[in-house]
Amino acid sequence: MTEPRLIRNFSIIAHIDHGKSTLADRVLELTHTVYGRDMKDQVLDTMDIERERGITIKAQAVRVMYDADDGETYQLNLIDTPGHVDFTYEVSRSLQACEGALLVVDAGQGVEAQTVANAQLAMNAHLGVIPLINKIDLPQADAERVSHEIEEALTIPGEEAILTSGKTGAGVRDALEAVVRRVPPPQGDSDAPLRALIFDSYFDPYRGVVGLIRVVDGHIAKGMKLRMMATGVTTEAEEVGVRRPANQPVEGLGVGEVGYLITGLKDPALVRVGDTVTLAKRGSEEPLPGYREVKPMVFTGMFPIDGDQYPDLREALDKLRLNDAALVFEPESSHALGFGFRVGFLGLLHLEVVKERLEREFGLDLLATAPSVEYHVRKTNGETIVVQSPQDMPDVGSIDRIEEPFLRAMILVPPDYVGAVMELAEGRRATFKDMQYLSKTTVELHYDIPLGELIMDFFDQLKSRTRGYASLDYEYIGYRESQLVKLDILLAGKPIDALSFIVHKDKAYYRGKTLSEKLREIIPRQFFEVPIQAAIGGRVIARETVRAKRKDVLAKCYGGDVSRKRKLLEKQKAGKKRMKAVGNVEVPQEAFMAILKVDE
Amino acid sequence: MPAHLYVHVPFCRLKCSYCDFFSVPVEDAEGVEAVLAGIEEEILEWGRARLSGILDTVYVGGGTPTIIGPGVIRILESVRTSLPARTDGEVTVEANPDSATARLVEALAAAGVTRVSLGVQSFDDEIIGLLGRLHTVEEAHVAARAVCDAGLDLAIDLMCGVPGQSLRSWHCTLEEGIETGAKHVSVYPLALEDGTPLAVAVGAGLVSSPDSDAAADMMLLAEDVLGAAGFERYEVANYAVPGHESRHNTAYWTGESYIGVGPAAHGMLDPETAGASGVRTGVGTDVARVRYSNASDIEEWLQGAGRDVETLSKAEVAREDVMLGLRLARGVGARIVAAAGLEEQLRQLEAEGLVELAGGGVKQRWRTTTRGWLLGNEVFRRVWLPDQ
Repeated sequence: MTEPRLIRNFSIIAHIDHGKSTLADRVLELTHTVYGRDMKDQVLDTMDIERERGITIKAQAVRVMYDADDGETYQLNLIDTPGHVDFTYEVSRSLQACEGALLVVDAGQGVEAQTVANAQLAMNAHLGVIPLINKIDLPQADAERVSHEIEEALTIPGEEAILTSGKTGAGVRDALEAVVRRVPPPQGDSDAPLRALIFDSYFDPYRGVVGLIRVVDGHIAKGMKLRMMATGVTTEAEEVGVRRPANQPVEGLGVGEVGYLITGLKDPALVRVGDTVTLAKRGSEEPLPGYREVKPMVFTGMFPIDGDQYPDLREALDKLRLNDAALVFEPESSHALGFGFRVGFLGLLHLEVVKERLEREFGLDLLATAPSVEYHVRKTNGETIVVQSPQDMPDVGSIDRIEEPFLRAMILVPPDYVGAVMELAEGRRATFKDMQYLSKTTVELHYDIPLGELIMDFFDQLKSRTRGYASLDYEYIGYRESQLVKLDILLAGKPIDALSFIVHKDKAYYRGKTLSEKLREIIPRQFFEVPIQAAIGGRVIARETVRAKRKDVLAKCYGGDVSRKRKLLEKQKAGKKRMKAVGNVEVPQEAFMAILKVDE
Repeated sequence: MPAHLYVHVPFCRLKCSYCDFFSVPVEDAEGVEAVLAGIEEEILEWGRARLSGILDTVYVGGGTPTIIGPGVIRILESVRTSLPARTDGEVTVEANPDSATARLVEALAAAGVTRVSLGVQSFDDEIIGLLGRLHTVEEAHVAARAVCDAGLDLAIDLMCGVPGQSLRSWHCTLEEGIETGAKHVSVYPLALEDGTPLAVAVGAGLVSSPDSDAAADMMLLAEDVLGAAGFERYEVANYAVPGHESRHNTAYWTGESYIGVGPAAHGMLDPETAGASGVRTGVGTDVARVRYSNASDIEEWLQGAGRDVETLSKAEVAREDVMLGLRLARGVGARIVAAAGLEEQLRQLEAEGLVELAGGGVKQRWRTTTRGWLLGNEVFRRVWLPDQ
């Protein structure tokens, strides 16, 4: 165990793409933690999806030993955090495990919404924040402007910023020196009963749930009987170790140290992020602050295109949940799509990542319905029900009022695009709160916006209307009443439950009409006419028609054509397999997502 | 044993913009001579093996057989001397208007040809140009007259659904086609084949893509106009004055076996003939039909290599027969459908108006309706791949 005065725990926080993971790679190299031959880009991003998309989804903790200029060797624990708003809770837990943070700002892009949000999280957690202006090797780097933005937006003196390049390694040593000098050493009572924070966990098929922990008080060692304070489960420390970045067992971890804990527990629900580990007997009575249950915000129906894959889908979801406590799901059946699951996510990125993993790692062909949020429906009989899927919305007559989740959104954008942002926000039922100039180049706007609008392609729209300059962050602020109605889509006269959605009453006509038009383009011509109708409570508000296909025949069929023709038919049939037969209408997968592309 | 022979002549002056059949330009006399010798040799082998039945039909297609002129006569001569044939057999040669000269046509007639299939495609010079064909309307008329004057049965091909083709232009083409004296008209809606220059041009937006509704209108117009002139539609794409139907092509649609000779030529054999001829070397338990195609590379074919062989099981043959039978106006016998296990599919197609049941008792037959013919792929797919 290292004395606390020689320990520094810090994380690297950044907006997506500002070079966090590459910088972490340089730290590993500089401290000889990973040698050249083991070095691959973004060592700490272990999932394929993380590497490909350049995002970090899971928190990581790695111990490096750093020989500082003062002649001492320091134990630095680098806690890499997810860089996306969907995972804000994970970020906040990771920050709880640290005393300091390197805040990475791209020297070209400057301060963005997530930079501000993450810096605020770090400052609220009383962390020493060291700004790094990164990517200074780029031609478009403008350190002076960015340093000014850091002062304005983050109220951190610009001269404290360190210039770095994750690519060339420039300034990385300066950053580590700053960590040693400016980040306070951990404080804690080594004589008090054990208190350790679980700031992340992952599932190992052989060892069970592996918790990443930070010891706050006392110490933890192999063989100790332990208790998880939130879940109340008691267990034993089967193995305690540190990550360098491969797991390396140690005798124990003391105050301020960071490592991993294996208990043999197999159910991730018992080893929860944010929970406090203490001793089973004579343990602490006071859990570490800040634990909360992670609640999914966005829901979608996931259905296997081939109904036979339903058990495989269940198994795959079960497996993913082992590594992702925020993933929740329950069976859902749709008249149109058969059996599937209603799956809850932290946000849209989380949804995309999970869907991609299901398809890639488990070889499933999935159809996902348009994402929805959780509505609170007060019925006229006084009952309140929770609706996660439009198809569960009760009859209009029995509804007294509907409430939906709202967010406080923060948008950072250059002044030239303020008009475009306002236009978009207005179209999405957002209420303007305030606006301030952070610098000549950046304006910060605040809006209250229904989550249901935000998940409707809002981010892509924001990006495209501001030529990629705007950035967005948000926090949940609570449920509010809205005038909502359920809009049904009928194909060939039959309501298709999986296409229903919930919409504000003032927008119902427009969205019903444009969605019908969109569906007319997406649904291929069948050999019979397919009417598309949009209806609210039985009243049709829009109608389009997919005209019948009149000709589909390859007329030439002589000797050699027979085989070719059969193969063509087989190919056509394979093409149909990628569609979902709803009644007798072949509907391509994208139809179920079309509502997201209905522009204002 | 097969009673039909197809010979593929793989030469063209220039490949048409829509065509993806196997052909190469005529470059030198030696190249042509090598292929001719190879074809003669392949015919001779079938003769020596005594695996050909008495030929009812011979079809020399391509490519453009007439481009090698007297070479076609040599092929016919080789067939006559090597293989047994009926005296009243049907012998067809494919021709393009620019190479079917009166002299050649007369020579063909003298060599036993009974029928010439002329690739006219259109009587509208603009459409002919777009299709990348090298003849003119005038040449088409001259060639057609030569065929009729030589006393041969004239068949012509016409193409509809071409980008830029109006219904009016198509109507004129049909009328002019009838005036040529043809007794047989094939009507093909243009199909864009991957990799052809026309498909590339459409992909690049240089030519508008063929409109399937317009093609449907043109196919319906063809039935009306040709019907009024005494032609009967006996297959999806084929119209004939009664008695002038193509016997060779009818063999393709009725499951009769045929020999294919030449590079890229296809053949279909019963398992015994396939085994005896060496076309099929493997042994399968459930093989009821063998389809093969020769290498579509002249060098490979000359070495006797690169032949593709496909075997069909009994159940597949039954479904294939129904699928092909539904291309024909006379349809397919209800008992054959039942034996293929496809009655349920056909009942469903009947409910959707794509097929109908005609006749009674043992003569009951399933026939494709006009609408079903337009949507043939829907019908054929559900017959060929019934478990959907």
